[in-house]
Amino acid sequence: MRGVSVGRFRSSDLLMLSPWLVTLLLFWLFPIIASLVLSFTDYQLLSGHNSFIGVDNFIALFSDPTFVRAVLNTLVFTVGTLPFTIIFAIVLAIFVNRNLPFKTFFQSVYFFPSIVSLVVVALIYSTLYARGGYIQMLLSAVGLAYPPEGFLFSENTALPAIMAMDVWMSTGYYMLLFVAALQSIPQELYDAASLEGAGAWHRLKAITLPHLKPMLLFVLVLNTIKSFQIFVEVFVMTKGGPLNSTMTIVYFVYEEGLHKFNIGYGAAAANILFLLIALIAWVEMKLVQERQI
Amino acid sequence: MTRHSKSPARPLRLVIAASVAFIFLAPFIYLLLGSLAKNFNLAGTLDLASYSFTLANYTSLFSQAGLYRPVVNSIIVALVVTVGNVIFCTLCGYVLARRRFRGKNLVMLSVVMVLMIPTHVVIIPMYLLTNWLGIFDSYLALILPFLVTPLGVFLMRQYISTLPADMEESARLEGASEWTIVWKIVMPLCKPAIAVLSVQVFLVNWNSFIYPFILTSSESMRTLPVALALLQGYQSINIPQLFAASMISALPTTILFVVFSRRITEGIISGALKG
Repeated sequence: MRGVSVGRFRSSDLLMLSPWLVTLLLFWLFPIIASLVLSFTDYQLLSGHNSFIGVDNFIALFSDPTFVRAVLNTLVFTVGTLPFTIIFAIVLAIFVNRNLPFKTFFQSVYFFPSIVSLVVVALIYSTLYARGGYIQMLLSAVGLAYPPEGFLFSENTALPAIMAMDVWMSTGYYMLLFVAALQSIPQELYDAASLEGAGAWHRLKAITLPHLKPMLLFVLVLNTIKSFQIFVEVFVMTKGGPLNSTMTIVYFVYEEGLHKFNIGYGAAAANILFLLIALIAWVEMKLVQERQI
Repeated sequence: MTRHSKSPARPLRLVIAASVAFIFLAPFIYLLLGSLAKNFNLAGTLDLASYSFTLANYTSLFSQAGLYRPVVNSIIVALVVTVGNVIFCTLCGYVLARRRFRGKNLVMLSVVMVLMIPTHVVIIPMYLLTNWLGIFDSYLALILPFLVTPLGVFLMRQYISTLPADMEESARLEGASEWTIVWKIVMPLCKPAIAVLSVQVFLVNWNSFIYPFILTSSESMRTLPVALALLQGYQSINIPQLFAASMISALPTTILFVVFSRRITEGIISGALKG
């Protein structure tokens, strides 16, 4: 390794790296900087307005009830799905990993929903959630109440309905990640614990869960970043309605920026989302790290 | 033996596993049966008592709803992007794994940083950028931004780092160019990583919605997921047709999944362990 001296640079290195360097500059750095600059302007594609207005967009956003609702809904969506997805994923991972017969088959089946197009999944669920559809039939069979207009058309149930679908869809993916973490735990640890007479519950608490911690952090951050960007489900199933009850931040950004073409205003909302994601991911990392003894 | 005494008996665990499997598969069984159904209740439930099969929902899609073009678009975009990623990510991964020069760590850092950027945050500048570049609403807009992905570069770099370098060294001593080394020596050794990368990139692009949606405007440039999402509001389309269209989108995914199930899951598991 030491034989190759540092600094002996070949033109082929630069050429080989250039696809990434061009992509990085053009399609990653430029949009981020452009987004930042745009958010301080009143750029509108249709009216042609384009002047620097300082932080006016940000001030306007926080008094825009639709945006506030979008932030709240996005938070509710993330906080309301994350624990379920993670707990189901861990339970399934432990279940699958304990020499279950046909383990690979079941693992694949549980994982399957997360590789099908989100548009397809959202379309299926739109029909399942419809008035008189299967989910209503199921609920009335066990005597539970349901909104007569259908889940996606009621202000109270539209967001929870999308959240439930999301948990169903992503559990298998995170299960797979936890299975990976479980497989990296040395079997000797369990054997030693068993010899010392530790019960199943104790082994879970003392060995399995602590070893899952790094993966838990990874999944937490990954899932937060993903959840905060929810868009497709909303676009296909509700278009942000009814009465903004499923309006999310990315949907707001799309609607303001690319539908009404209020570029500056939409970009400002996107930047707030960026900050929010960075902040929450950072807090999650701190939280999990501090609890590590 | 003591290890399993506390867990539920084998048959019981199989029943649980199968019930959970049913929860995950039921919506897709519904999709499949619905797409092949001659008659469908208005509420969206299947009339199982008088269920009869038909392919009419599929054939009418291509004749009436014009799904032919979106299918072709999706195939072109997903294939070109996949091939691009295989070539470019291997090249970049090779340089980052093997070569040494000033600024390399900075490039590596850029890959890792970009991996964490939430992509939906830049939809507005991406829309403007494709307009300024004059590629809005064209194949170039659907392909160029995605030809090299940070995840791909990262994956290939990690994999190439684990390979022994002596074959490359001896080829270099014999006067082989860096390009020959990558093409003749590194690429063939990278087959497992390339397989994982290809399946992953193909699936992501085949399913991709938001960027194809915002970077195109004409009907002829729509990819399949975009066409599907927009078909839904269409008056003349009915549920069985919508289901048939969804099946066409889900079928390649399913086939890839059945064939490469191990590759996909192993790719995710090994990627996760390194991450």
